[in-house]
Amino acid sequence: MAKRSVWSDNRFWQRSAAWVTGFASILLIWLTFDTSAQISMGTDADLQNGVTKRVPAPTVINYKITYEMDTVRGHEVPVIGEKEMFFGRDDWSEEEAAELLHLGKLGSQSKNCMNCHTLLGNGAYYAPDLTKAWLDPAWGPEGSLQSMTGKSSKEEAMAEFLQHPSQYPTHARMMPDLGITAEEAQGLVAFLKHMSSIDTNGFPRNFGKIKGAVHGK
Amino acid sequence: MMFEPFVDVVPSFFGWLNQGPLTLTIFLHTVIILPMFWIYKQEKARIEREG
Amino acid sequence: MASNHLTGVGSESKQLATWYFTFAAILFGAQLLFGLVAAIQYVMPGFLFEIVDFSVARMIHINALVVWMVFAMFGAVYWLLPDETGIETVGIKIGKLLFWVFAGAIVVVVLVYLLVQVGPATESSIWLIHEGREYIEAPRWADFGIVVVALGFVFNLFATGMKGKQTGIVTVLMADMLAFAGLYLTGMFFTDNISVDQFWWWWVIHLWVEATWEVYVGAIAAYGLITMIGAHRKVVEMWLWIEVAMLFGSGILGLGHHYFWIGTPEYWWEIGALFSALEPLPLVAMFIHVLYDWGKTQGAEEAKGNPASVINNKPAFTWFVLNAFGNFLGAGIWGFFHTLPQVNLYTHGTQFTSAHGHLAFFGAYATILIGMMYMAVQGTNGIKVMKSTKSTIAATWMIAGGVMGMGIALTIAGYVQVMVSRAQMGATWAGYFDGQSGMWFAQAMDWRLFMGAVTMLGFVFLAKDLLSIGKATHHER
Repeated sequence: MAKRSVWSDNRFWQRSAAWVTGFASILLIWLTFDTSAQISMGTDADLQNGVTKRVPAPTVINYKITYEMDTVRGHEVPVIGEKEMFFGRDDWSEEEAAELLHLGKLGSQSKNCMNCHTLLGNGAYYAPDLTKAWLDPAWGPEGSLQSMTGKSSKEEAMAEFLQHPSQYPTHARMMPDLGITAEEAQGLVAFLKHMSSIDTNGFPRNFGKIKGAVHGK
Repeated sequence: MMFEPFVDVVPSFFGWLNQGPLTLTIFLHTVIILPMFWIYKQEKARIEREG
Repeated sequence: MASNHLTGVGSESKQLATWYFTFAAILFGAQLLFGLVAAIQYVMPGFLFEIVDFSVARMIHINALVVWMVFAMFGAVYWLLPDETGIETVGIKIGKLLFWVFAGAIVVVVLVYLLVQVGPATESSIWLIHEGREYIEAPRWADFGIVVVALGFVFNLFATGMKGKQTGIVTVLMADMLAFAGLYLTGMFFTDNISVDQFWWWWVIHLWVEATWEVYVGAIAAYGLITMIGAHRKVVEMWLWIEVAMLFGSGILGLGHHYFWIGTPEYWWEIGALFSALEPLPLVAMFIHVLYDWGKTQGAEEAKGNPASVINNKPAFTWFVLNAFGNFLGAGIWGFFHTLPQVNLYTHGTQFTSAHGHLAFFGAYATILIGMMYMAVQGTNGIKVMKSTKSTIAATWMIAGGVMGMGIALTIAGYVQVMVSRAQMGATWAGYFDGQSGMWFAQAMDWRLFMGAVTMLGFVFLAKDLLSIGKATHHER
C-alpha cells in the first residue's frame, strides 16, 4: 500500500499556516518600524537646511510648494521653494505652525471631510480629491475659484470658501455649510497646504498640468 | 553596474532590496515559503514513524 | 446526515446568537436605507441638502455596514460554539449583558451622527461626536465600549474552546477573533500627521477585511459544509488550514497596496502589488472547495442509492454558494482589477474603489452572514430539512442582482472618472467635475440608484422571509 502523502496531512497544513501567518506578521512589523521612521514629520531645521522629508514640518506653510517631475524617480514630487506669505506672514514659528496644523487636522476629522472628499486618495468620491488641492491652479492668481471669492490670495480664497461654501457653488453638487469658523478655516487651509507637501510617490499623476485635453479647458 | 542606484527619498534595507520590479517581493516570498520544506520533511518523517 | 445543529432549542448560546442576528438584520436595513439616500444625492444633489448631507448619510451607510457585520459575526460564533465544542458556551451571562451594552451604544452613536452631525475642531468632537475616519468613525468613547465588548466576546470564545472540544474550526476562530479584536486598538489614536494616521487606519481596515474577516469566513464556510451537507470534517479542516496559510500569507503583506500613495516609501509598490495579487488565489480555492465538497457528498449519497439532495437547508446553502462565488468575484476579481500600482495610480480614489467595495463586502461577508441567519431560523424552529419559499427566492435574486447591478454601474462610473478626471484632466477640481458631468457617469449613477432600490426591495423580502419561513409547512421536520 502506498504511503499516506504529507500533502493531505492536516498537521502539515496547520503548521504551515502558523508559520506563514507568524512570519508575515513579523515582516509587517519590521516594515512598519522602517516606514514609521520615514514618515515621521520633519523639523523646521530640516526645511532650513534643505533636507527632504516625506512629511515635512508644519512650518512648510512658510514656503512656496510646487509639484514637479523628478526625472530620477520617474514621477512628480512636491518641491519646497523659497519663502511665501501665508495669511500675510512668512515667519510662522514652529509652535504656531504646529498649532495651526493641529487645529486643521482636528477640523478635517470633526467636519467629516473624508465622507465626501478623498484625502491622499482615501475617503468618499462625492467631491474632489484634496491631496494636492493647495496646488490646484483654480485657486491660483488667475484661477476661477480664487476670483469667485473676490480674495487676493490663495489661502484667503480657500478660507472664505470653507466658511461659506454654499454661497460659492461650483457644481449642482454643493458643499454644505459645516459651521467652519474663520480660525478653523485657517487651520484647514494650513492642513491642506501641509498635505500638498507630502511626497505621495507621484499621486495624483499630472496634477494641474494638463490644459486643453477636454473641451479646450 | 551591479546594483541599481538608490532613488527613493530615504535609503533603507527594504528600499535597497527593491532593485527592480520583482527583486524585493521574490525575496520576501522565498523566505516565507522556504521553511515550509523543512516542515514538510519533519511531517514526512513523523508519518513514516507512525507507519 | 449531520443534524447536530438542531440543538437550537434550549441552548442559551444559540438564543443569544438570534439576538445578535436580529439586531444585525435591523442595522442591515439601516445601511441600505442610508445608502439609498446617498445614491439619490448623486442623482439629485439638492436632496436633503444641509439636512442629512451626503457625508452624514454615507457615514451611517458604511458604519451600519461594519457594525451589522460584526454583530452577525459574533452571533454566528455563539451559534456554532455549542455544536463544535459539545458544551454550552461559557460566560453566556456576560455575553448577554455585553449584547445590550453594544446595541445601546450603537443606537446612541447613530442618533448623535444624525442629530449632531458635526462639531467644532476640538478634541471633544472626536471623543463625543465622531472621529471622521472612514469606516471607524465611532467616537472615542464608543471605541472603548467596543474594545470591552470585543474582549468579553473573545474571552467567552477562548473559555469555551479550552473547556470543550477544540476542533480545527474553533482553533482557527480563537486565533482569528483575538487578532480581529486586537487590531481595532491600532485605530484608536489621534495624530496631526495624516500619513501616520492613514498608515495605522489601514491596519484596522485592511487587516480586518482582507485578512481576519476572510479567515473568519473560511471557518464559517467549513462549519456550514459540515452541518448543511454533511461534508467530512477531516477534509474540510484541511482546506481550512490551507486557506488560512494562503489568506494570511497574501493578505498580511498585501496591506502594502494601501501604501502606494499616502506618503510611505516606494518599496511598498512592489510588496503591495505582488502580495495582494495573490489574494484572489485562496478565494478561488474556497469557491472550488465549496462546490467540490457539495458534488462529492452528493455523489457519495447517490452511489449508495440515495438520490435525495444532501442539503438540509436550501436557503442557507444558496447564500453560502453565493458567498463562495461572490467572494471570488467581488473581492478577488474586482480587487485585482486595481491592485497594481501602475493601474492604481489612476483608479485610486475613484468610483472603481466604490464598485469593489460594494461587491466585496456583499460577496465576501453579507452573503455568508445571511446564510447563518437562515441556519439560526432552521435551528430555533427544529426543522430537519428547510426549503426555500417564494420570498427566499425573490430576496436572493433581488439582493444579489441589485448589488451586482450597482457594482457594474459603479465600475462604469469609475472608468469615466479614470479616463476624464485622472488621465485627461490631471485630477484637479475642474477635472473632477468634468468627469462627474459626463453622460456615462450620470447614467451609471441612475442605474446605481435603480439597482440600489432593487436591493432595498429584496431586503424587505429577506426580512419577511426570516421572520416567517420558520413557520412554513413545507419543510421536513
